[in-house]
Amino acid sequence: MSDNNDHANGVPGGAVPVTQAAAGAGPGDILDTPMGDAAQAGGGGGQSIVFSTTLRTRDFFKISLINGLLNIVTLTLYRFWGKTEVRRRVWRSVRVNDEAFEYTGRGKELFFGFLLASVMLGVPFLAFVFAVQFLDEQFSLLLLPLYLFGFWLWGFGMFTAFRYMASRTTWRGIRFVLFGSAPTYGLMWMGMQIANGMTFGWIQPVFARLLAEQVWNHMRFGDRPFRWNQARSESVGLYGPFALGWFGTLGLIVLTIIGFVAVAATSGDVWSSFAHEMAQQAEASDPAKAAPVPMTVWVVLAFYGTLLLLLPFIALVWSPYDAAVLRSVTAGISLDDAQFDMKAGALSLWWLTCTNIVILVLSLGLLMPLIQARSAKYLVTRMRSTGTARLDEAHQAPPGPRTAEGLADAFGFSLI
Amino acid sequence: MQGRFYDGTDATSHAAEVRFDGTTLVIETAGQTHAWPATELAVDIDRDQARVSRRRSDARLVLATSEWRQLTAGQRQVRRHSAAGGGALVIGLVVAAVATGLLVFVGIPMASGPLARATPIDYEARMGENYNAQLSGIFPACEGEAGQAALQRLADQLADQTQSPFPIQARAVHAPMINAFALPGGHVLVTGDLIEAAETPDEVAGVLAHEIAHVERRHVMQGVWRSLGAGMLLDLVVGGGTGAGQQAVLLAGQASELSFGRAAETEADEHGRAYLHAAGMSSRGMGDFFERMAEEELDAPEQVDEVSEWWMTHPNTDRRIAAARAAEREGAPAMNDTDWQALRRACASDQAESAGQPWEIRIPGRRPPNDPMPGQPDEVGKDR
Repeated sequence: MSDNNDHANGVPGGAVPVTQAAAGAGPGDILDTPMGDAAQAGGGGGQSIVFSTTLRTRDFFKISLINGLLNIVTLTLYRFWGKTEVRRRVWRSVRVNDEAFEYTGRGKELFFGFLLASVMLGVPFLAFVFAVQFLDEQFSLLLLPLYLFGFWLWGFGMFTAFRYMASRTTWRGIRFVLFGSAPTYGLMWMGMQIANGMTFGWIQPVFARLLAEQVWNHMRFGDRPFRWNQARSESVGLYGPFALGWFGTLGLIVLTIIGFVAVAATSGDVWSSFAHEMAQQAEASDPAKAAPVPMTVWVVLAFYGTLLLLLPFIALVWSPYDAAVLRSVTAGISLDDAQFDMKAGALSLWWLTCTNIVILVLSLGLLMPLIQARSAKYLVTRMRSTGTARLDEAHQAPPGPRTAEGLADAFGFSLI
Repeated sequence: MQGRFYDGTDATSHAAEVRFDGTTLVIETAGQTHAWPATELAVDIDRDQARVSRRRSDARLVLATSEWRQLTAGQRQVRRHSAAGGGALVIGLVVAAVATGLLVFVGIPMASGPLARATPIDYEARMGENYNAQLSGIFPACEGEAGQAALQRLADQLADQTQSPFPIQARAVHAPMINAFALPGGHVLVTGDLIEAAETPDEVAGVLAHEIAHVERRHVMQGVWRSLGAGMLLDLVVGGGTGAGQQAVLLAGQASELSFGRAAETEADEHGRAYLHAAGMSSRGMGDFFERMAEEELDAPEQVDEVSEWWMTHPNTDRRIAAARAAEREGAPAMNDTDWQALRRACASDQAESAGQPWEIRIPGRRPPNDPMPGQPDEVGKDR
């Protein structure tokens, strides 16, 4: 299920979702656009849109280390400010027509949003789970609707996070704004989880577009609305790559099982001597505690070892689909007469995912900002636009929500 | 100096002439002049571009970085824009973190005793029923009715010496481990393996008395409150954070929980012994049982014992044996021979079943590897 969630967001291995990338940090190509002169071209008084970036991944080493250190001494309370600073640096490194985006969010907004969500949702939820223990057994039946509510809440939280980030993203001093209904998005998200379960994931490509449409049809730059173009989005096929990923995963599972059986069959001696050793240990020491340790550790190590070995292959079979979702969603976005395309290829995305995982694992999560910068750079450098948009005519949007995506953060959901 | 000015009302770019006299930044566009005080300015520099903003304003001024530097050379009033926060923020957060840490690791453990005592008896009883129902599925009761009755008689004798707010309901269960549990509300489970491992009824009585002490002292309820409080606060603080800091916090939380568990174990030993003495029974069985359990560990490397001592919520066995030996007293046997034989047979009929767990490797003629079943409700009452 979590795989599917990632695909729905277009988040390959923790990469920046395309919805957010284009909302907050418009993706594109490094082009040396002359200072001062936005690329004036095209008809209808509009401008063509050229993306460029000054992102240098190595610049994010220092901030990663500082954030990591401050997170440790503050029991991770610093994370809200650290995250904000990372966003600020990513945003300002992305330019449209040589004018940089700006992230205007504040750490304390995330912090207060988190506190609010914790008090309003986290505490009652934990208290309920706790209270069930005191009450009649029948009350545990209430947990099922509560988990369904959790799905809805997740979608709701994601949408409010998008809304917050859009409102804290400016270009030429003009804010982005996301209208639309977070409860509706939550319902769609919940529906997707249920439908995915019923179709073994095969409904996923449909929802990938539905969710993107829900965001982009309600997004504005100032007062200039983005539009979702379903036909253009559908020009990028999703079911072929999805089938590849689905059957590829099935194949990998079958191969793994065959591999295990083969190893067990050919190395029977190893197994029996292992079992014998275990039994000796059980005999030699207090069986209540010494014996299960090696077995448990062994099983856990084998599980994670196999998973780690499989991960690049799983990423490989899914990368055509992930890349197709990125291309399809980007193709569906338009602003005035400007349309967008993402030149994301399966292999390049696979490589990004694998290297990101290696960096994340080796740094124990410390280099997360670096990974976010790499992912943002990947997206921006592959972004293209055709046609024109009347950017100059955008008027200021109303201020966004005061507190932040605390709800999303409270549930461990983090975009960048 | 030349720059681009955006007035914050629309996205039109205005060519601007910019001056700075050290106190005020003056921006002149066609027909308009803006004066921004230096104290309200923030600048964000990325490579070749410097973007200047004024506090609480959507307007932006963009200049070439070199020109901005030239313009403000020698001036220190303009602050670099940053979300990272200053020293005051970090100090404040560290203080908040320390306060939270104290609350979680000191305050809640201290409050858990009074909280447990303040928990209404029928709440704990109901919670115990829920746990008991869940555990009955995992650890089915042994079939020997005569043995179960003997165990309950022993429990009744001991319970008579206590001020337990709950009736003690003891039962022998099938479980692949040498262990005994006290659940909330007075349920005490003793595993068939433990009964098999015991050489005398006095040893079973020692273990049972220890578990009954957990019930009387409401240790289980304390553990429930402690884990709820610590879990809630740690979730609040650590929440969606990732990385090493979070792991460190969680590990520290676990260590604190365990050290408190050891104090509860010592208390249960002492009270358990007192019940045995009050019932006129011998308390030698307690020391005997601990000693034999310790002997079985002797072949294990020393470090393993130290590590397990730390992680297993129990006091160091040597210390425990020494305490038991120092305080033990002679007394009547805990059971007559008929009852003892019945108890020994209570779980014997299907000892083989307990080896039927799918994750175990069963070697004929050997005891199955035992699993302490992590995540059981009674971390405090776990016994050897």
